[in-house]
Parts: sequence; structure tokens; C-alpha cells
Amino acid sequence: MAEIVCHGVNKKYGAHEVIPNFDLRVAEHEFIVFLGPSGCGKSTILRMIAGLEAITGGEVSINGKIVNDLEPRDRGIAMVFQNYALYPHMTIYDNIAFGLRRLGVSAVEIDRRVGEVVDMLGLKPVIGNKPSELSGGQQQRVAIARAMIKTPEVFLFDEPLSNLDAKLRAQMRLEIARLHKNLKTTTVYVTHDQMEAMTLADRIVLLNAGRIEQVGTPEEIYARPASLFVAGFIGTPAMNLLPATVGENGTRLDGQGFSLPVTPGRYRLAEGQKVVFGLRPADLSRTSDAATAHALSGTVDMVEFHGDQVLVSFPLGAERISAFLPARHRPKEGDKVSFAYEAEAMHIFDAAAGHSLLHADN
Amino acid sequence: MTLSRILAKTVLWLMAALVLFPLLWTVLGAFKQTVDLLTPVPRLFFAPTLDNIIYVLSRQSVLQALINSVVVSCASVVIGLVLGLPAAYAVARYPSRWTEEIQFFVLSLRFLPPVATAIPLMVIWLNLGLYDSRLSLIITYSLMTISITIWLAIPGFQRVPKEIEEAARVDGYGAYAVFFRVALPVASRALIGALAFSFVLIWNEFLIALMLTTSEAKTMPIVASEMSQLGMNVPWGILNAAVILLSLPPVLLLGLLSSFLNALFSKNPNR
Repeated sequence: MAEIVCHGVNKKYGAHEVIPNFDLRVAEHEFIVFLGPSGCGKSTILRMIAGLEAITGGEVSINGKIVNDLEPRDRGIAMVFQNYALYPHMTIYDNIAFGLRRLGVSAVEIDRRVGEVVDMLGLKPVIGNKPSELSGGQQQRVAIARAMIKTPEVFLFDEPLSNLDAKLRAQMRLEIARLHKNLKTTTVYVTHDQMEAMTLADRIVLLNAGRIEQVGTPEEIYARPASLFVAGFIGTPAMNLLPATVGENGTRLDGQGFSLPVTPGRYRLAEGQKVVFGLRPADLSRTSDAATAHALSGTVDMVEFHGDQVLVSFPLGAERISAFLPARHRPKEGDKVSFAYEAEAMHIFDAAAGHSLLHADN
Repeated sequence: MTLSRILAKTVLWLMAALVLFPLLWTVLGAFKQTVDLLTPVPRLFFAPTLDNIIYVLSRQSVLQALINSVVVSCASVVIGLVLGLPAAYAVARYPSRWTEEIQFFVLSLRFLPPVATAIPLMVIWLNLGLYDSRLSLIITYSLMTISITIWLAIPGFQRVPKEIEEAARVDGYGAYAVFFRVALPVASRALIGALAFSFVLIWNEFLIALMLTTSEAKTMPIVASEMSQLGMNVPWGILNAAVILLSLPPVLLLGLLSSFLNALFSKNPNR
């Protein structure tokens, strides 16, 4: 079990800086998820922790020991790759045992430990097969078994589920969560799938263009996005974002087609400031009282069926407003509707800088 | 079956016949007596004889040439692999600004007409006192097999997924172990091609062998060709038998290699 500390980590390819300055402390037993769009540098940071990518500047330490110049094998890590990276010429047994053989573990001991891991992951029937004869889900289990067997201090997952189909992905996600519950190994997990991040993480590190946008529990990230980027990235369907101007001493927001009151003191607003005002579709509910202060009104022009819920949307100024409503009482296209929300559901961001204007103590 | 499929199959069968018939005719010719060979109307049915085969096999020069060919081909192929594969791996896995130049240089060695190099080589080996020896042939051929192996193995190593090698590094293996225990076996499918190609090329090589040998180190192609120079009457049966003997080792080698490959990657036989 180990703590991982990244201090001022920096990565350059020639003159091109991919990771400018990365600071993070991963606590013992913690499950950390790096989340971000492709190309945001999340895999690069993971590979620097693994030792597969050289660190240009800064320090990475695992378990109190600086590992900058150590080979992957000397870092106490195990890694699961996106495309499984199984050895195609070895049987499943040999794939799992390969790392232990290097450590000089006795054949009897290897046999015992492989048996244990194989039982845990339900791989017994395929132990003599070659990787190409296994399904994607089984191959990923082998990759996890291969990582587990070394009882590493740190687990690193590089988008392990993105090659699987949706159903299998949900199942494997559950297995990984259960595994972490049992083993409690410090884990860093990279994904671009917010559902994986939300369900697995103790804390999410949301990255954009090599920089940390926000670090926090899934709930913090969802409920209190620190920036416009986080607000737009997290949540399905995506948050409604409307440009607005602060008016009347910071107590109102004015935009195309709306003028709404703001709870005084909750946000750091200056009169005349350009802001972006956000509302999650799920925070909106239908109301018959169009005169209520916290409501937006319009004519429905699209109803998207999602099963239990429908996504109802209407144009408002140059933007669109969507609401996630129960499917049973859905409006029809062409209906005039009003959507009400709680005052606390408002997210307000500085339009230029992108940071949240919510007061920290709220 | 649609008309286009029938047509396509017919064309394929015709092409196959075009390739296979001369081979079949050569095999038949090896078992024919001269009478059956020198008829104006080709005979498909005849009384077979082993005379040609026995004649070819009983000649000391043939046996000697066969040994020479096997030794020289195998040795130069092995040297080509031992020196060429690590070079190819280095070029494939650690690309630099020289990578393309190295690849082109290696290939350009093969642009040189063999005649242009054969005469200087002859002089060199004569001066070194190694003319007409297996050693000189092996060294000369190794230059060819190394370049072929490098050229053909680079794409093979490039196709090995990088993550597999990285997984081995995380599993604790160093660069050499990764090469021998992961990259080499995973790329073997492609590498076998390089092996087979350089073996066949050396096995069939004629011009340099002709220039560098006179008696001791003569290889099969030289001896086989000499059989057509026995006089005015071309001994067709013997020639056919010699051709069969010359063709068998590469065919056997390819068969062995492909079964080895199947064993390496396909289903577990115990299941």
C-alpha cells in the first residue's frame, strides 16, 4: 500500500509542453480517476507514474521514495492497458505467471498464487488457452489478473474498459470496484468516460490540456463544478449554459429571453460582469406557475425519449434549454411550458476566465 | 452459384494449373526414360524408372554440392538472423532521424548488380587464400542475408504492439529479455518470412557461387547446371531429377516453418 505524490511534474516533447505543472497527492488505499477528453494528457501522467514515459521536470514519489529515474519494475506498480497487451504467444497461465517468474518465485508458489487469482476472476476454464481464443472481457480479466498477482503497491489502469461493449463495460466496472474494495490497493485509473469516473472514484482529477481543472469527490465535481469546462464536461445530458450579464448590484442575471434573480451573497458578482449561467437539465421541473421567480418559459420544439425520462427542449434567445422530465407527464412538441428550479441549482461562471463564481463557503 | 462466381473460379483454376503444370511435368520427367522424354507427342503415361534419381544421387559431386549448399545456406541465414534481427529491432523500436537513411542504405546494397561485386570479391578471397571455400561463401552470402533480414524484419517488429513490450517492462523484464521473450516470438510470423526468403535466395544463388567456387565449395545450382553441359544430348531425365533435388529442401523448410507457426499461435492441442 502506498501514497503517490506528484510535485511540479512537467513533460515536454522537444519544445512542445504537454504537461506544464502537475501537482497531486494520492492517499493510501485511494481510488483516483484521471478524467478528461482525449489528448488532455491523462495517459501521459499515468505513464510517467508507471515509468514508461520519462519525466522532464518535477518529482514523482511512490511510498515516500522518489522514483523519477527508476525502471517500471522497481516502482512497485502493476498496470492494465487499454488493449489488454497480453502476450499472444503464451497461454493464459503463462501470461499471468510471467511477472512472478522474473522475480524468481518458486514454481509451487507461482502455481498457488495463479490458482488464487484465476479463481477470483473466474478464468479457470481458459487457463490453457492463448489470448486470441478469449473474448474481450476475458482478455481484460487476464490483464487484471496479471496485474493483481504481483500484489503491487499501486495499480495503474489506462482506459481498461474502452475496448469493451457497453454491457460488458458496466459489468467489468463493477468487478473493478469490488476488487478495490477487497484489496484496497492505491489505484490510479485513466478514463474519458465520466460514468466510469463517477462510479469508481474516491476522487476525480479532471484534466484539460495538461492542467488540472478540478480535484474532488464525484459528488463535489458534479454539484460544484469549479469551472465552465468541468460544468460542460460532467453530466449527461449536458448542463444548459446561457450567456448573461449581471445587473442590479449583482442580484439579477439578464440574458436573451430571461431575467432571473440571484440569491444575494451566494456568488461573487459585480454589476455589468459577463457571466455564463448554468442549469442541469435534471434540476429543472415543470411548473404551471409561469410567474414564479426561478423559472424559464418557452415553446417545446423537441422531445427526446430516454426511457423513464424524456429530454424536453425549447429555444431561448440564441441558446437552447433542456429539461430532464419524467416520461409519463411529458409535454408535446408545440406546448408552451415553464421549467422551475431551486435557487441553489444555479451555477454561475465568469465568461472570460471560466472559473466558478460561487463563494467557497457555500 | 452465380455466373460470375463460376467464371472467377474457372480463372483461378486456370491460373493454378498454369503454375502447377510445369512443376508436375518436371516431377514426371524425373521418372521417365529418355525414350519417353524425346517423343514428339508428350506422354502422360509411361513405365516409370528410378534411374535418373539414382544416377543423380550416386554422383559424388552431387552429394558434395548438396552438403555445401545446406551448410552455406543455413550458416548464412543464421548469421543474417543473429546480426540482422537485433539491428532491425533497434531501427523499428528506437526511431531516430537516421532511421529512414538506414533502411534505404540497407536496401540499396541490393541494387548493386551481383556481377559488379563478384569479381572484386573473387580477388579478395583469392588474396586471402580462402577462394573456393565454404567460409568465403558463407561470409559473402551473410552480407546479403543480413541486409534482407533487416529490410524484411523492420515492419515485422513495428507491428508488435508497443503496449505488449511495455507490459513486459512493468512485469520486470529488461530490454534484452523483452526482445528475446516478447518481441521476437510475437513478431515471428513476419520474421519467418524473412528467414524463408533469405534461405531460398541463397539456396538458388548462382552467379556469385559460380565466380567464387571451382571444385571444393561448389553448390547445388552450379552442379545442377553442369549436368546440362554433358554433351550434345541434353540428359533431360537427369536434369529433371536434379531440379527436384534442388527444389526439395526449400519446400521442406517452408513446410516445417509454417507448422511451427501454427503451433505457436493457434489452438491449444490439449483441449
